[in-house]
Amino acid sequence: MQKNSNLSVLVKGLLLENPVFVLVLGTCPTLATTQTVIGAFAMGLAAMAVLICSNVVISLLRKVIPDTVRIPCYIVIIAGFVTIVQMFMHAYLPELYDLLGVYLALITVNCIILGRAEMFASKNSVARSALDGVGMGLGFTLALLSMAVIREVFGAGSFAGIAIPFIKDHTIDILTQAPGGLLVYGLLIFAVTALTHGKAPKKKSFGCEGCPSAGNCMSCTGKEEN
Amino acid sequence: MNKYVKSIIALTAICAAVALLLSATNMLTAPIIEKNESAAANEALLVVMPEGEDFTLMDISSYTLPETVTEVYAESTGGYVVKLTTAGYSTGMVIMCGVDATGTVTGATCLASNETLGAEKTYGEKTVGKTVADIDTVDTVASMTKTTEAYRNAVKDALNAAVILGGGSVDLRSEEEILKDNLSAVLPAAEGAFTPWFMVEELEGVSAVYVADNGSGVVFRKGEEFVLDEALSAVVVGSKTEEMDTSAYELHSSVTKVEKSSGGNYVVEIKASGFGINGDKYYDPSGEPILLRASVTPAGKIIACETLQQSETEGIGSACADPSFYTQFNGKDETNYKEIDAISGATLTTNGYKTAVGRIFETVKILEGVA
Repeated sequence: MQKNSNLSVLVKGLLLENPVFVLVLGTCPTLATTQTVIGAFAMGLAAMAVLICSNVVISLLRKVIPDTVRIPCYIVIIAGFVTIVQMFMHAYLPELYDLLGVYLALITVNCIILGRAEMFASKNSVARSALDGVGMGLGFTLALLSMAVIREVFGAGSFAGIAIPFIKDHTIDILTQAPGGLLVYGLLIFAVTALTHGKAPKKKSFGCEGCPSAGNCMSCTGKEEN
Repeated sequence: MNKYVKSIIALTAICAAVALLLSATNMLTAPIIEKNESAAANEALLVVMPEGEDFTLMDISSYTLPETVTEVYAESTGGYVVKLTTAGYSTGMVIMCGVDATGTVTGATCLASNETLGAEKTYGEKTVGKTVADIDTVDTVASMTKTTEAYRNAVKDALNAAVILGGGSVDLRSEEEILKDNLSAVLPAAEGAFTPWFMVEELEGVSAVYVADNGSGVVFRKGEEFVLDEALSAVVVGSKTEEMDTSAYELHSSVTKVEKSSGGNYVVEIKASGFGINGDKYYDPSGEPILLRASVTPAGKIIACETLQQSETEGIGSACADPSFYTQFNGKDETNYKEIDAISGATLTTNGYKTAVGRIFETVKILEGVA
């Protein structure tokens, strides 16, 4: 598989450039919405929808948007799509809307979406940006699901709200709380790093370049702050 | 310059496009969201009105409803679901009550409360099928009298609210207000300021006496009627009591004061052991026994009885300070004073009170020299 093929764009987000476990983006919603499998799945799909739409639109407008106002433009576009997703979920999936609560609106400031807009969509074609959105969205969803399965099954003794015999009587309560979430998060990062040993991108290959503040950051530009 | 203009135009155009997209989405989803929210609200209302079809939140600002009523939903077939906030043992007891078109309770449930014993969780079931005419027949729960009484009164308020909203009229005055209005109607010159007079003389057919604070007269309650009576007024105005020196008598240690009226009757003030009665000794965890007084004829018949102070358990034994309890002793003598209704959940308080009343009879016999 060629490094820059469409297929590689699609699948890289699943493991090699997984936004949660490799790029370590979107940690806040990851910890907050992975107490239940249903909540994690809903958050993953909502973020994926916003990611695909914003990637497509930003890619479409990449030659129109002036460089100096690109970040405000990206934020407006992302916030608009988040609000649209919110409205549709409120109308057609009210239970999931209530379940996700404030974290749905906070997709606007999810680093994965702004990061992909800056790192990929602003430099690639619409089709490839859409594929990147799908890949990263799936990667985000899979990461949330893997964490949620561990936390809900062993922490609450259930899967998607259905109690699991035996396990429900021997739960590890801390897994449903924030410290347990961080513990699972760390263990999964360790597992993914072990799995992709030598293949995952090094920090320098996505660190400063992919940062939305790269143009203004002293450590990137070498310029002294005024 | 061009660079800035281009930036402004681009950002403005993107904002405008996003705003348009959002307004279009809102137009599409807003009716569905409203419908969903209405269905969710209806679901809560259906708990207390299972036969209900469609509910609409009413504007109740133009109605004079009981103070406990906070929200009213009109049901399409003529009933109402009333949301009330009342206070039981503590404040903040929120009750939802359904009243159908015939004025019958279809259901009542407690949405929130800070009560300690939990009676409010199931008490609503007892009120189902009741109307404004028979809601008072629902018994309160022993040891949770205050909570359940507040609950029953709230349901009564819901029934009254339904009557008012349906175009009827209900007397929403409190018992105190009704009494004040009745007294003022008989004696307007008193300008609504009366003080109950503790009856130390026997007045034929009179159950209560109210003296105008400005000295304009005395009103007597005879049965359900409030009347002026010059002859009886003269007795009341002329009646005086004088404290007796009881050192020559061997009275029970719980007797704190004895007075004799100008009509020859005794007024005995006595301490009663409340919660935690222990034979003849006082045992009161709060350190404050009940203090009561009774006026008694020399023949040993109670003219009037009242509780002066108490520190019994709030909502349980504290009912001994309620006139509905202590006025039961009026007209009783040594042979029948125990035939009174006990306070629900406060048997020890009731027994302590009865024991003290029994000692009042003994005191009068000693003072009359017949013991």
